[in-house]
Amino acid sequence: MPARKLYFESIRVGDELPALAKAPVDRVQLSRYAGASGDYNPVHVDELYAKSVGMPSVYAPGMLVMGMLGQLISDWARGGQLRRYNVRFIKMVWPGDTVVCKGRVSDRHGSGGRYFVEIDLWAENQKGELVMKGGSQIQLFYSLEDENRQRSGQSPIVVEVPRESLVVQAPQASTSEAASSSSAPTAPEEEGDEDEDSDEPRTGASSKKTAPREKPAAKTASLPAAKKAKK
Amino acid sequence: MLDKNAIGRASPPTLNEVEKGAIRRFAEAIGDYNPIYYDEEYARASGYPTIVAPPTFPASFHSAADLRELLGVGIKSLLHAEQGFDYERPIFAGDRIYVSTRVSDVFERPNMSGKMDIAVIEDEGRDEEGNLVFRARRTLVVRAAKENV
Repeated sequence: MPARKLYFESIRVGDELPALAKAPVDRVQLSRYAGASGDYNPVHVDELYAKSVGMPSVYAPGMLVMGMLGQLISDWARGGQLRRYNVRFIKMVWPGDTVVCKGRVSDRHGSGGRYFVEIDLWAENQKGELVMKGGSQIQLFYSLEDENRQRSGQSPIVVEVPRESLVVQAPQASTSEAASSSSAPTAPEEEGDEDEDSDEPRTGASSKKTAPREKPAAKTASLPAAKKAKK
Repeated sequence: MLDKNAIGRASPPTLNEVEKGAIRRFAEAIGDYNPIYYDEEYARASGYPTIVAPPTFPASFHSAADLRELLGVGIKSLLHAEQGFDYERPIFAGDRIYVSTRVSDVFERPNMSGKMDIAVIEDEGRDEEGNLVFRARRTLVVRAAKENV
């Protein structure tokens, strides 16, 4: 029996996704991922090679960790459709490391019968260090009733839901940036820390600044529109 | 410094056939045992036409792109700094997806030891009717072969 689905009406900004602790990464997993992805870069699978280029050992490809964080999304957003998923690689993941995937709803909005939630995502290692951060947009049915209507060819339930972002004030944001970059040194991927180019659809821009390690932050937005759900 | 002329260079579309076994092995490698990646009946009962591919599955697609050629340099190392996907729809077992790769930007970014070369590479996947299925975007730090690291 498929798991219970997630609907827009039950989600609130600030909701945390249940954390996902993955099994420790080992070299067998790195080999399997190399085979499954077709990426045989020897720094991920050949210990001798990795050492010859100055690494203490092989390390996990960023895309493997992105896959783990993707599992967090799919496990949570059952019945939803992933629209966007992007990450920045911050710190390397080594054999023996345990990746813990976390996320929080940073925004929700809907119009014209289409409903979206934005989530902030991040992954930590067993020391609580940030190894990756990112975000995602998921499209959901408003409710079970909405899904049933649409699946039977009727029009969707239309509720106008204005953006309700996690609001982070500027000083807080800069503190948190500092905090996250100080915890994210060594990796060659460090340049990802700078604000940059990204012409990725940056819809929930303000929410990007939310510090991943903060507690589920004061959400300032109330949830007015959602209550007007029509039957 | 990477050649700005690389911007816009692209590889021709390459066919990728999405196989169930490939999806299963990819999900297993991540350690993700969600039955929608393994069990056809379960996937259907969950509202999908068949087995679904995990969100990062396009990482396993191949394209005809040779980054050396596209960027016009010998490459000593590539560091993957960022990755993003935009999805028009989920990817399913049985899909036939044509993937092409394009250099969308190259630029320099200052870092602690001077400057580094950044390349932004975009992959696009389309179905046989030409409909967009996904776009993927990689930001890479490129170290050219002659540089001392």
